[in-house]
Amino acid sequence: MSNHVTYTEQELVHLLRNRDNQAFSYLYDNYSGALYSIILQIVQENELASDVLQEVFINIWRKIESYDALKGRLFTWMLNIARNASIDTLRSKNYQNSRKNQELGDHVHTGGNGQTLQPNVDHIGLRKTLEKLKPEHRVLIELAYFKGYTHEEIAAIENIPLGTVKTRIRNSLLQLREYLK
Amino acid sequence: MDLQHYISSGVIESYVFGLLNQEERMEFEQLCATHPELRAARDAFELQLEKQALAQAVEPPAGLRERVLQSIEVSGPGFSDANPPLAPVRSMGWLRAAAVACMVLLLGSSVLNVYFFSRYKLYSARYDQLVASQLQMASANRAMQTRLQDYESALGHIKNPGMIVVKLPGVNSSPASLATVYWDSQSKDVYLMVNQLPRPAASDRQYQLWALVDGKPVDAGVFDIGDGLLKMKNIPRAQAFAITLEKRGGSPSPHLDALYVLGKVSA
Repeated sequence: MSNHVTYTEQELVHLLRNRDNQAFSYLYDNYSGALYSIILQIVQENELASDVLQEVFINIWRKIESYDALKGRLFTWMLNIARNASIDTLRSKNYQNSRKNQELGDHVHTGGNGQTLQPNVDHIGLRKTLEKLKPEHRVLIELAYFKGYTHEEIAAIENIPLGTVKTRIRNSLLQLREYLK
Repeated sequence: MDLQHYISSGVIESYVFGLLNQEERMEFEQLCATHPELRAARDAFELQLEKQALAQAVEPPAGLRERVLQSIEVSGPGFSDANPPLAPVRSMGWLRAAAVACMVLLLGSSVLNVYFFSRYKLYSARYDQLVASQLQMASANRAMQTRLQDYESALGHIKNPGMIVVKLPGVNSSPASLATVYWDSQSKDVYLMVNQLPRPAASDRQYQLWALVDGKPVDAGVFDIGDGLLKMKNIPRAQAFAITLEKRGGSPSPHLDALYVLGKVSA
């Protein structure tokens, strides 16, 4: 392991673009835990999360050219790859379930106690702070961040105005930010 | 626009978490480029989020690291959206090139194997021929050496000044025959040279040399016709020499009807 070596983010990106395996190992050693945590919070299943994490690192390796430092930090870019991959996996998996069990979609967003999934990740990251939100705010974050629905979709699902969805989500995020400190 | 209000509206957090729609996102990015305070606020939240995520990291399964590192080596550098055609060429290129190079080397090696084997067979056959002819020449050389030694020793005897030369001309019944006796006056050794004698009609017959000592024939040995000087028996005293054809192995006394040559020792 190359934990004793530290790269600046710029160096790391540069090395990754030059297909430096050492830099990739460093990236894995330093960020796999954080990204695994983020994936786990969304897919809530260890084995599935491992598969997603592998896919995420392969995507990072493949798409590093398209990373734009002007738009955000490397970690933010990786976080969003991880989040999108997790949601995609969940959707392709849930798609099969939802054919048999149409109420799953309703079930998840019917309120505060709609958590039918494994509870083992509730104590980490953003999920841990969710419980501090009001139930009507919590469900919006659940749908937007953890399920990947657009504001328009959420407005339709929850039957509330789009402006309200947007405001509630932004306020919730500001609240969560405080809890994240 | 009230920037402070914008900054504290939750738009930064929404952007970072990827929750803005296309229009909002582009607006935010544009404002970031023109408003350093907004960019700084965004950086601050990103850093906070990263620190928090690192602090809340969950160790992935142990075997996964190996799997991931292997998968990027197997899939290679892959491709990026920025330059799709370039990366795959670089990634699979060296593997494919190595495979092609191996195939070419293997093929070349096989062809050379066949070529060198046929050359080997050719040269191996030539070598065998050379060895055989070398052996032949060596044995011929040995034979020549032996004959040369015979001639040299014969010549040595003939050149010896103490050698008495006795010519044995053919008798009436065999006028063409001729033999020469070289008699060493010191050692009394007798050497015979057959100049001309008919070959015996039957293989059970053999010529015999006689020394005539005071009118009596003394056996000086039997011989077959051959080249060079034949060493015969030592004869201390003799007045003449003669050759008769006898039964193989010789006779105690000569059959004079089979006399071929006769010569007196000159005084």
